[in-house]
Amino acid sequence: MSVPRLAAACLLLSGCATSSLVLLPDDEGHQGQVAVLEAGGKPTAAVIAQGNSRTKLGDPTPTTQPLGQKGLKAQEAALLTSLPPPAKSFVLYFDLGTATPTPASQAVLTALRAEIASRSGPQVEVTGHTDTVGSEADNDRLSQQRAEEVLNWLAGQGFDRSLMSAVGRGERELKEPTMDNISNAANRRVEVIVR
Amino acid sequence: MVRRILAAVALASLAASPVLAEIARIKSSTGAATVERGANHIPAKPGVQINPGDRLVTGKDGRMSLSFIDNTRFAVGPNSNVAINQFQYDRTRQKGSFVTQVDRGSLAVVSGKIAKSDRDAMKVRTPNTLLGVRGTKFIVEVPE
Repeated sequence: MSVPRLAAACLLLSGCATSSLVLLPDDEGHQGQVAVLEAGGKPTAAVIAQGNSRTKLGDPTPTTQPLGQKGLKAQEAALLTSLPPPAKSFVLYFDLGTATPTPASQAVLTALRAEIASRSGPQVEVTGHTDTVGSEADNDRLSQQRAEEVLNWLAGQGFDRSLMSAVGRGERELKEPTMDNISNAANRRVEVIVR
Repeated sequence: MVRRILAAVALASLAASPVLAEIARIKSSTGAATVERGANHIPAKPGVQINPGDRLVTGKDGRMSLSFIDNTRFAVGPNSNVAINQFQYDRTRQKGSFVTQVDRGSLAVVSGKIAKSDRDAMKVRTPNTLLGVRGTKFIVEVPE
């Protein structure tokens, strides 16, 4: 489509006002990139890499401007404020062959409960793990028991089971890689992600 | 052999778990905020589960926010229409693909594990552009 015809189509549609991208550093301060894979239906090689910038989209070679003194528009700042909090991870440890968290991990349970309670629309992902002592089948069972033990405790604290899932990964995802049949406290764990 | 059968059984039980169908949850909403699933219009209350193919629609006073199972986070601004065209995520391998289409309005994104897993595994489409997300935080605005 020629440029004049594209402009005419935009006038007719009025839905063709230029879309734009504001690129920001992530919460840890890292600056990622956004590639413009296609513009106006045609492939492009453009990559937007400048943080705290604004780019009008639709052109195969887009122009990126720094946000500068004016910074974000009020509605953009409001949009960022309404982002959900990042996911938070917790780890509980277990004694050899048991599905009861160690005394030191009891405090983690308390912190976990508080975190879930503080969130709107929470979702909780519980994953159990073992060390390499015992057979793979036994460890699949034990890791599932560990995950369910934590899930049941949370359910007992009043959290609805529909918020939570429990999976056992056996000895497949060792925190500290070891040979078979090695007792390792760091590997006997349950990881919980709260979103 | 026994080991392989056990692994197959474990996989089958994972696949049967309904939890895996869930890709995201609504975290907050204000004003007119709806999840459109085919002909169903579901109020976007906190805790509502999102499926692939859902459309997030807000009115003039509407907002909603959601978290995905790969840790991607969205905030949808007022007067917006955003479709989750594709979302696949393998929790074990932490890989997947994710295509979102912003037809109107504004969307803030903090990308998650899918965007990290492979180059341009996460894409965002606007009426005139296809973007490949390479691990970052950004806002896409599509004026009416």
